[in-house]
Amino acid sequence: MTVTGSRGSLPEPATYSGRFRIPQSVLGYTLILLPLLVMGTLILYPAFLSVSDTLTDRNPDGSLQVSLADYAEFFDTPLAVRNLAFSLRITAITVAVLFLLGFPISLYLRFTRGRLGDLIQSLALFPLFVPGIIAAYALIRFIGDNGWLERFLVLLFGYEGFTSPYLRPAGIVVGLAWEGISITVLILTAGLSQIPDSLLETATDVGANRWQSFWRITMPLMKRSVLIVLTLNFLTVFGSFTIPYLLGPASPEMMGPYMRRTFYDANLPSRAQVQAVITFLISGIVSLLYVRSVVSQKVEEES
Amino acid sequence: MTVMRSVAERSLRLVAGRPWFGICLLLLLALVVLGPMLNVFLWAFTRNWTYPSLLPTIWSIEFWDDTFTRADIAEGFIDSVWISLIVTGLSAIICLPAAYAFARMQFPGRTFFLLSFLATNAFPRFGLYITIAVIFFRLHLIGTVPGVVLIQLVNTLLFMIWIPTAAFQGVDRALEEAALDVGASPLRVFVQVTLPLVAPALAAALLLTFVGAFYETQGALLVGVPEVQTLPVVMIRLINNQVIVQYGAILSVALWVPSLLLLVFAQRVLRGNTIASGFGV
Repeated sequence: MTVTGSRGSLPEPATYSGRFRIPQSVLGYTLILLPLLVMGTLILYPAFLSVSDTLTDRNPDGSLQVSLADYAEFFDTPLAVRNLAFSLRITAITVAVLFLLGFPISLYLRFTRGRLGDLIQSLALFPLFVPGIIAAYALIRFIGDNGWLERFLVLLFGYEGFTSPYLRPAGIVVGLAWEGISITVLILTAGLSQIPDSLLETATDVGANRWQSFWRITMPLMKRSVLIVLTLNFLTVFGSFTIPYLLGPASPEMMGPYMRRTFYDANLPSRAQVQAVITFLISGIVSLLYVRSVVSQKVEEES
Repeated sequence: MTVMRSVAERSLRLVAGRPWFGICLLLLLALVVLGPMLNVFLWAFTRNWTYPSLLPTIWSIEFWDDTFTRADIAEGFIDSVWISLIVTGLSAIICLPAAYAFARMQFPGRTFFLLSFLATNAFPRFGLYITIAVIFFRLHLIGTVPGVVLIQLVNTLLFMIWIPTAAFQGVDRALEEAALDVGASPLRVFVQVTLPLVAPALAAALLLTFVGAFYETQGALLVGVPEVQTLPVVMIRLINNQVIVQYGAILSVALWVPSLLLLVFAQRVLRGNTIASGFGV
């Protein structure tokens, strides 16, 4: 048997079936059909159905007609608009906080060797190993009224003016930032590690100072990682439920808890559908940017 | 602008290569990241903890018995275990053959279909769950185990396809061909050569999926309640009712330690960046 260099042109020893040879493409499509079907039924179909449900009204004679009435109703409801604006504000703040925390940590890790760097990296990745519900519970005890943080401030610094962020908007930001910091650092350090030392050294050799090499070389090469971090964090935070539900105020509330209350407590599934589709539409551009940057990265890796 | 630049330039110069910056970062991260978990550990061994003492006033393990004899916790635990097992098994059956195909077979659109599983990350998660729950509502799947299993399955697709695909791609084909050349049947090559080589990565993918399903909260709460109450849903009730702090704390400690061990094991097996790959990196 000949051994060829490229992966694609190998003969297919494992796909004989009796005397008939099944074409590889047919077998391939058969094997990937099941997960694609699951994705179609559990992701694409529900999303599509909600879009079409909310865009059509049933006439008295039973026929359907396109109508934006459901959406008009959403934007005529002050509570709904307030919750949407609140969600966007919290999302913007959290995404910014995550970036401002994660980027310096990642830069530090990229340019540091040794035990200190390893320790910082382990700590930054630690939240990845704490399931969300346990993190939420721990944070309530830690940042809540009379919690550990307050006790530290009182006993060590004599600071009495602590206001707990628990059940306030800041509580959501704290919780989501705690959960999101690991993946932020992971993505940014992965991006930074792809910048070769030699490139930065060359820049220094031709007389660039640290700031110039950071701004002219590191940042342009980091564009994609930064875009992935910002878009992924936006989608995660905007689509979150558990942290806002447990750590946030009852009113205003983020879209996650609001949708659940509409669906479950108020028992209005069709109105919850409208709310869900509005979250899809608002994050549509962000989703596209996210998918596009990940796809371009993967395609580059494959080739 | 120039002022901002010079300020930024100066701070960058200050920070880079200075050990005190690293030490401050370390201490701050330790407080913020480890503080909450340590705090919960202490609560699990507390009878009485008055303000503003930094440590429990009276230590005790008396609540451990109470916690594990509570009917809702015991039932939640059993529900969680077998629902997670079903989700993991189902996900493996659905995804692993596909991962093999993605890694080994050439067909038009292969890359496109492999990347299409990113769709699971591209929706705001809870909005997507609501649209699924609406369908389950019409199909009377709300409050049923199949409903919870199906909604948790959504989360598992990307990991269960991308990690094993990378593992299968990593196997050196020369080894398999050598075995075929000396007369081994394709099935035997798969079982005795390929499978042992990918087993660690497959085990890691299964573990990550199991742990992910076990602690999955929002889908189970939306679709399972009130008939099906997994352990995270019981936790939510304990938090909302604010009964006794220790129940939640003990539950957190008892559940988190095994999950930590499993996840650390999974991460050891996988290359450093594999977990990030589940997020599309």
